[in-house]
Amino acid sequence: MNSFVERYSTTSATGQLRRAQRLADEEDEFSDAAWGSSAGFGNIVKGSPSFMVPNTPDPTSFLRLHTDDHADPSCRIKIQHGTTTLAFRFQGGVIVAVDSRATAGSYIASGTVKKVIEINPYLLGTMAGGAADCQYWETYLGMHCRLHELRNRERISVSAASKYLSNLVYSYKGMGLSMGTMVCGWDKTGPAVFYVDSDGTRLKGDIFSVGSGSTFAYGVLDQGYRWDLTDEEAQELGRRSIYAAGHRDAYSGNTCNLYHVKEDGWKFIGNYDLAQLHNQGYGYEHRVEGRSSANPPEVVATA
Amino acid sequence: MSIMDHNGGSVIAMVGKDCVAIASDLRLGNQALGISSNFQRIFPVTDRIYLGLPGLATDVATLHERLRFRLNMYTIKEEREIEPETFAHLVSSTLYEHRFGPYFIEPVMAGMSKTPSGGLKPFIAATDLIGCLNFAKDFVVAGTASSKLYGVAEGLWEPDLEPEDLFETISQTLMNAVDRDAFSGWGGIVHVITKDKVITRTLKARMD
Amino acid sequence: MATPNVYRSPGFDFTNEIRNSFLVEKGLPLPKATSTGTTIVGCLFKDGIVLGADTRATEGPIVADKNCEKIHYITESIRCCGAGTAADTEFTTALISSNMELHALQTGRKPRVVTAMTMLKQMLFRYQGNIGAALVLGGVDSTGPHLFTIHPHGSTDKLPYVTMGSGSLAAMAVFESGWKPNMEREDALNLVKAAIAAGIFNDLGSGSNIDACIITASHTEMLRNVEMPNERVQKEKDYKFRRGTTAWKKEDVRKFVVDEQLTLIGGDEMDTS
Repeated sequence: MNSFVERYSTTSATGQLRRAQRLADEEDEFSDAAWGSSAGFGNIVKGSPSFMVPNTPDPTSFLRLHTDDHADPSCRIKIQHGTTTLAFRFQGGVIVAVDSRATAGSYIASGTVKKVIEINPYLLGTMAGGAADCQYWETYLGMHCRLHELRNRERISVSAASKYLSNLVYSYKGMGLSMGTMVCGWDKTGPAVFYVDSDGTRLKGDIFSVGSGSTFAYGVLDQGYRWDLTDEEAQELGRRSIYAAGHRDAYSGNTCNLYHVKEDGWKFIGNYDLAQLHNQGYGYEHRVEGRSSANPPEVVATA
Repeated sequence: MSIMDHNGGSVIAMVGKDCVAIASDLRLGNQALGISSNFQRIFPVTDRIYLGLPGLATDVATLHERLRFRLNMYTIKEEREIEPETFAHLVSSTLYEHRFGPYFIEPVMAGMSKTPSGGLKPFIAATDLIGCLNFAKDFVVAGTASSKLYGVAEGLWEPDLEPEDLFETISQTLMNAVDRDAFSGWGGIVHVITKDKVITRTLKARMD
Repeated sequence: MATPNVYRSPGFDFTNEIRNSFLVEKGLPLPKATSTGTTIVGCLFKDGIVLGADTRATEGPIVADKNCEKIHYITESIRCCGAGTAADTEFTTALISSNMELHALQTGRKPRVVTAMTMLKQMLFRYQGNIGAALVLGGVDSTGPHLFTIHPHGSTDKLPYVTMGSGSLAAMAVFESGWKPNMEREDALNLVKAAIAAGIFNDLGSGSNIDACIITASHTEMLRNVEMPNERVQKEKDYKFRRGTTAWKKEDVRKFVVDEQLTLIGGDEMDTS
């Protein structure tokens, strides 16, 4: 640590001496290892970071054996999943809405997870599948987007950013990465949404929903979607879709985080408790106004 | 993923001062998909005995009917209403009969039993799926949220709660435990049984 | 005409077996039954037998019952400690107890410990270990005191001091170092207490309190919770909720008729003169 301070301090005499010495023989004693590990972003110039893989003849199948809890519920490494995330493109930009529940088996580990990853002021990524995988790789993506800006003096397109991510995860295909994400943003072409997952799939589209509750979200989303939605209508649709998924899907719920991406970047609209939404009009009881099959509305006789 | 978790649902019973309470959630699911938010899994057995049947929904229906039959046979033969202790043994032996092909149910019972002096005494019991009785003095839990219910109840329960206080304690225990379980929730129902009345309340709960 | 029998034949019912084994085949494991992780012991002393047990029942990693009874009644002077699947120990001992009573009525004699032991081992052997009961059987009869262990598959041992269950190693360590032939009643009880305590504190499957039972030729003394080394202290504060904390949507009150009052209508016009 002291040598580290010495090296970068501008005033100390020993530091100056060292610098002179270093100029004399171009020897850098600080390798990437000084940053902790080579995957700790220390080796950014080398391209994608490299991780240790298990020392077995077939690391891919080894990792799958221990991480695939669908095939074996008692597997050693449990990756949390169960989520509802959605994003859609419309006239006024992109709406990104997600729930906030994290489950480990039937246990609700958290109800306050941030499943939207703010890559930079113009790009958002959503989180489904392995939380750590999404956070790490999307943060990493953010660094590359910044480097792209510095190199090319313009912002990266959503298309390029998502392709960067999909190429990255593809290089680890089969090793147990688990992510289903939507890269959303605004670039020269306007609003854009790309779906990227850990299989390496990358899709461009208008409407996506990812996670265990996605079917429920799609139901509401498809029903209410139009290109010429107003901003308020679109935000309401996103919120309503997440509510529906949170209601029906055991692995989704708690709160909804809503973002709106416009030409000048994304804006956080709000965090909404699904229980409050339920009681303030989204709930079934409110929509049927106290009526049910046991107590149907009176049929008005028509002549 | 156990077969016990297929439909979800949990039940808890607690003892209070001259009263007992039994509560459950109202969710019926098919794995992660919620099907119904009005699934009754607590049944009145007599005026003063309530029975909760958490577990596989098909067995909830079957076992309820089977117990109703055996209870009716008992009532006809004995020409008197069954006592909670006796009923607990009836449930237990019904389940043990199926020792090698069990019903996937872990019943929870709550009631007021008669004392020799003519008074009434709170009674709760639970069994495992093959009928091992557990007569607790404080509370019993079962269902997909049982591990969470144990923790919350262990913290919140105290002796000699009046009916209205017992209602608050059991309701809060249920709702807070169930909010940490993916397969339970979607509303709740509480029955508080006292000497002279049964109060049934449907709770306002999270619906996600 | 054949009369339909509303009663079912006694014994086990296998009707759900096909469905359940289908579910197991589909990869859904059968849920765990309550088991008594358990420390159970028994030892011989000068005048008879002392049995001991802890009071914890577990369901996987969860303590399902903090104060259950593991010393089961067989006859007045024969008792049986049970370890293993809790329901199995409960029902097996109840069944044998019932048969022992019938046997006593039929023969008109005080039943012997070997009789109970034989009934238990024959039943457990018949079920090939599927009834998961591991028992310590002890009692005094006309032939003197006897102490047996019975394993789930039906094998038995007859020994002066025995332990069973997950805490058996801890308990046996105490017996091995402390047991002597012809002990006094008090010393034997203390040894049993020490053996159970060893199980309670060193074995995770055992816990809570100590139950003991002293059986002599003339008298059986059941000592429920002789020692309670794990009593919970009173909570320093209470966690009572203010009434009205819980929001509810619907209420239904069902009132019982607690006492009736007879009011005669029309007064006293009945003429009884």
